[in-house]
Amino acid sequence: MLEGDLCIVGAGAAGITIARELANSRLKVLLLEGGGFDFDPQMQELYRGEIVGQPYYPLQAAALHYFGGTTNHWAGWCSTYEPIDFEKRDWVPHSGWPITRADLDPFYARAQKVLDLGPYKYDAADWKNGDADRVSLLSDSRVVWTKMWQFSPPTRFGTKYRDEIVNSPNVHLYTHANVVEVEANDELTAVRSVRIRTFDGKEYRARANVFGLEGNGASFIEDGASGQSSISADGRFIMFGSNANDLVGRYFMEHFEMPAGELALANPQTTKTKLYALDLAKGTPRGELALSPAAQRENRILNGTASVESGTYGEAVKSTFQFIDTTMLNAMRTWEKGGKKGPHPIAVALGATATAPPTKGPPRFYHLTTRQEQAPNPDSRVTLSAEKDALGMPRARLDWRVTPLDKRSMRTFYQLLGREMGRTDTGRVQIKDWLLSDDLTWPSFISGGWHHMGTTRMSADPKQGVVDANCKIHGLANLYIGGAAVYPTAGAVNPTLTLVALSLRLADHLKATV
Amino acid sequence: MKQVTQSANSSMTLDRRRFLQLSALGIAATLADAACSADNRGDTAVDRPQLLAMLGPERVRQLGAHYRAATPSENSAVSLRAAISNGHGLRIPLIGNASLDAQIRDDFAEQRTVLVDGWVLSVTEARQAALFSLAPA
Repeated sequence: MLEGDLCIVGAGAAGITIARELANSRLKVLLLEGGGFDFDPQMQELYRGEIVGQPYYPLQAAALHYFGGTTNHWAGWCSTYEPIDFEKRDWVPHSGWPITRADLDPFYARAQKVLDLGPYKYDAADWKNGDADRVSLLSDSRVVWTKMWQFSPPTRFGTKYRDEIVNSPNVHLYTHANVVEVEANDELTAVRSVRIRTFDGKEYRARANVFGLEGNGASFIEDGASGQSSISADGRFIMFGSNANDLVGRYFMEHFEMPAGELALANPQTTKTKLYALDLAKGTPRGELALSPAAQRENRILNGTASVESGTYGEAVKSTFQFIDTTMLNAMRTWEKGGKKGPHPIAVALGATATAPPTKGPPRFYHLTTRQEQAPNPDSRVTLSAEKDALGMPRARLDWRVTPLDKRSMRTFYQLLGREMGRTDTGRVQIKDWLLSDDLTWPSFISGGWHHMGTTRMSADPKQGVVDANCKIHGLANLYIGGAAVYPTAGAVNPTLTLVALSLRLADHLKATV
Repeated sequence: MKQVTQSANSSMTLDRRRFLQLSALGIAATLADAACSADNRGDTAVDRPQLLAMLGPERVRQLGAHYRAATPSENSAVSLRAAISNGHGLRIPLIGNASLDAQIRDDFAEQRTVLVDGWVLSVTEARQAALFSLAPA
């Protein structure tokens, strides 16, 4: 029996962030990690799941099951959610967070340091870097603006923060400790302990006053057959109490990441696009064209952005899932483990697929790739598969579903972008054929960004959300969830910066209350 | 063969409706005021779309053909010139590129746009492309 004041299940970005915040405090912190310190195929196999509904990336390749979690292969893209992302929007069913962007601002600023980013500045004007060519397109538009990204090195939590965690006097890390059950008290009002199982069949228990579960959105599952909730921390499915409001596992969301248009510049000699260039080697902050809040309201559509990358008109552009296949993932791991010698594998692949520019001088054609939130959808969900894993636990069954609003939003965004480009005589936009078809049909290359969100959504109302504004599960006195699974809406941009900010906020709450 | 997108969503339907309205007005103007028809003006700016520099003659010709195929009522130089002239508002002769450029910018600002082969075009420049496609290659 392990005993502590606080038990954190899962040592990914959220779990490690919270553990670091509580290091050197008066609390005895147990940190349980299912994997070890390195990639282990047997451990990773536990993440394999069943895919139904829309095509999806293999789950065992989307997230990583060892110390540091998915930060061991994330790309480092960081940007903030906008104030409108937190608001209840009457045209987006089930939208609205119980916190605001202002609530999160101080934690965003702290998260910048955790992720080795620059100053907490995301205005395009802040990132001119003394270069007159780094200016915004469509700067006078009230429809489109430039949203900035910063790039983490990317910070590998498992490497960077390992010694700090291991050497902490009050944080006790246990690896290969897969939690398989959360054990509640008889009244089902609080968690008493968690049960741990190893591959050789041994079982242990960890007891604490407060528990924090880390998990991605694919890990939180409702078992319709038994009526129990299965909540996974670090990929493991653990049973607890009832799921009276039938919310756990629902509202699975992704970010659409798909090629959706082409841009032809009217005057490539004078139009400055440097701000939008992707420099993987230097990690220079870059912009994407984004839909303004006013345009979202007027057109009743979702939030989204479009990257602007030079290319040859007509050449094939892959979606994220197509481009970063498992071969590319392995190449990236090898490149990084080898000390990042030579060009980045993505740069190599881009160079191999690009065709020669038709003319000399600045490029005229640019590929536009969408990054867009998915509307919360209760029918998009994760349930339990009948198949069991090596620990005897049911695997995840992902039924990713999208709505007409998702596609209509994307198409409307490109229409608006096309009009703004024409109005300002910046250029012309072509919308891809697949986006012009009906709202229900999606191409085979439908793609997300491996961002699993929403399956334990946050709401002040227990009937609308699994956790409250402090990430505590409604109805349980001492069980918290950290991770993107608590997001009620997905925002337009990648989730990690917000995830770390929320983890810092949760850590502050735990410091004050445990 | 690609077609002009007609009604992929409500917003596009609006475009299409506006476009048809403009077409009808253009034809009416031609019939009522043949003397003002731009057909005899020899106005090279009208059938030399700004799009040429962006997309090249081959692609512009294809776009023009798509436009004419989707809008049979404008499948002639006479009707296209009339529609462009009518779209100018005052039906004064179009002189030079500056006037046309302004008309195109106004089209975009006032949502007089059409989708041709997925390109978001001003209705004026779509008609210009159609005119261009009627000229010998």
